[in-house]
Amino acid sequence: MARSDTKTADKAQRPGEGRIAMLLLAPTMIVMTVVGLYPLLHSLYISLTNYNPTFGGGSSLVWFENYARAFSDPQFWNAVGLTLIFTAVSVTASLVLAVALSVLFNQRHPGFVVLRTIILVPMLITPIAVGITWRVMMMPDLGVLNYLLGLIGIPPQLWASNASTALLSVILVDIWQWTPFMFLIVFAGISSLPKSPFEAAAIDGASPLRAFFSITLPMLKPVIVIATLLRIVDAFRTYDTVYIITRGGPDFATDLVSVYLQRVNFRFFDLGYGSALSWLTLIIVLLVVLIFVRLTGFMKLVADKENR
Amino acid sequence: MASQKPLLSRAIKLAAAYALALIATAFFAFPVFWMSSSSFKSELDISQYPPVWSFAPTFENYAKLASELDAFDAFVNSAVIVGLATTLAMVCGTMAAYALARFDVKGKEVIAFEVLSIRMLPPIVSVIPMFIIARALGIFDTYWLLAAAYGLAGLPFVVWVMRVFIQDIPQSIEEAAMIDGCSRFQTFWRVTLPLLLPGLAATMVIVFMFAWNEFLLASMLTSQNAKTLPVIAANAIKPKAIAWGLASAAGVVMSLPVVVLVLMMQRYLVRGLTLGAVKG
Repeated sequence: MARSDTKTADKAQRPGEGRIAMLLLAPTMIVMTVVGLYPLLHSLYISLTNYNPTFGGGSSLVWFENYARAFSDPQFWNAVGLTLIFTAVSVTASLVLAVALSVLFNQRHPGFVVLRTIILVPMLITPIAVGITWRVMMMPDLGVLNYLLGLIGIPPQLWASNASTALLSVILVDIWQWTPFMFLIVFAGISSLPKSPFEAAAIDGASPLRAFFSITLPMLKPVIVIATLLRIVDAFRTYDTVYIITRGGPDFATDLVSVYLQRVNFRFFDLGYGSALSWLTLIIVLLVVLIFVRLTGFMKLVADKENR
Repeated sequence: MASQKPLLSRAIKLAAAYALALIATAFFAFPVFWMSSSSFKSELDISQYPPVWSFAPTFENYAKLASELDAFDAFVNSAVIVGLATTLAMVCGTMAAYALARFDVKGKEVIAFEVLSIRMLPPIVSVIPMFIIARALGIFDTYWLLAAAYGLAGLPFVVWVMRVFIQDIPQSIEEAAMIDGCSRFQTFWRVTLPLLLPGLAATMVIVFMFAWNEFLLASMLTSQNAKTLPVIAANAIKPKAIAWGLASAAGVVMSLPVVVLVLMMQRYLVRGLTLGAVKG
């Protein structure tokens, strides 16, 4: 596709239209530079200063002092570790759930379309509203979750109010909110798979389980990889629900990177240090994405797709 | 009897499929149901334990939204900011997408991936410089700041998704129009744009959804005048006295437009959310 693309573009483009293309691209480039790139570079500069508006607004260059401080900041690395756990558990769980749901709903019995549409709703609810709702439901004394657990004989839980279950609780909320997103994409992939490999496998006597692992999963790989990559990027920046449900507590058990950064920046106004931490976070996100891309051969998948 | 057995096992399988599907749907639907029903409960009903399932619905929480939370102002703020941002992203992004789809631009893949990299940028990283720059320019706590930030965040979706939608339209249709004497602009306006409308609408809904639901930037870059709906809803949660019914009502009011719009555009949702990579 990529190569033939250039050819058709050559044909579509008439003499003297080279400038039109630049003109069409210009607004996007300007917005990207002014609103995207410039603030980013500005933050790189701030990260090398000790800027803190509560001390009168003056600032002086301290070079890499903020970065050195970051490396010996246990709070920051606690936040990074929690965010990595949060992302890994939430994304894995929602991927497994989404694949299972996709196989189930691919059976297409009457009424499944309606149920499928209902399942999509959580990803559309404003994250702040998701946080509010789950916080109400997880109240240890009045919450409906403990009531429902009691009906099936499970003792009441402390949910987000206890340091040992808080992280799992906010992960549960994230899984609830974003499995629909994975499900939507994986289901689209599964329902566009060709029928013939499955028919051939059935004739050869392969069990449905075998067919799932040897045909369905490999053929779904490109779709799963794209959905997972988008989810990883988003899970890493989770803020809204955790801010509403726990604000990073109890005892820093859910202190994700974005929650910690919010505290550094807008409670202590330590903006120089906060910028340094932001840049470290950005580098960590890029590393995670890079590792994922390497492990899954993402670029090759994209290239294959273009050539198909 | 031989044909009875497969029939029986088929019936069991069918029943199991329905049971699993219903359990899954209940898991995902229950919190939404609980939020909606809480929003209609009186203060007394909402603090009952065990929870009450049937109650006399009241609209007092919705009435309080306007009087106690200034929800009406926030609704207007949200609408204006998201409207500006969506317009910005749609106009700039569609122009760029057309250039990338139809013209021979040098390094167009590099440009495309630069645009995509915005999607990877955590908002917490750009919030400090935006805060500082906005205060220097005097646009802190105004519509413009958030509109620009959300417009930028919407760009990767528009550029990538619209590029795919434009590529889906056969080149030959445009060529025919141009041979008949239309200029490039007339061709786009009269031929390509009408064919693109469903794609434009679908992309717009996705940009709208992300901007409408955004909280982090909105909470840090506004203080009084430009507060959006998610910000005032979060304000309903104070450490001591939490107004649960009020907060739930705010949640319903915020979420309803997105749920309605997106479900209307469901057909294109997959393509939009995966930035054109997966066909729905």
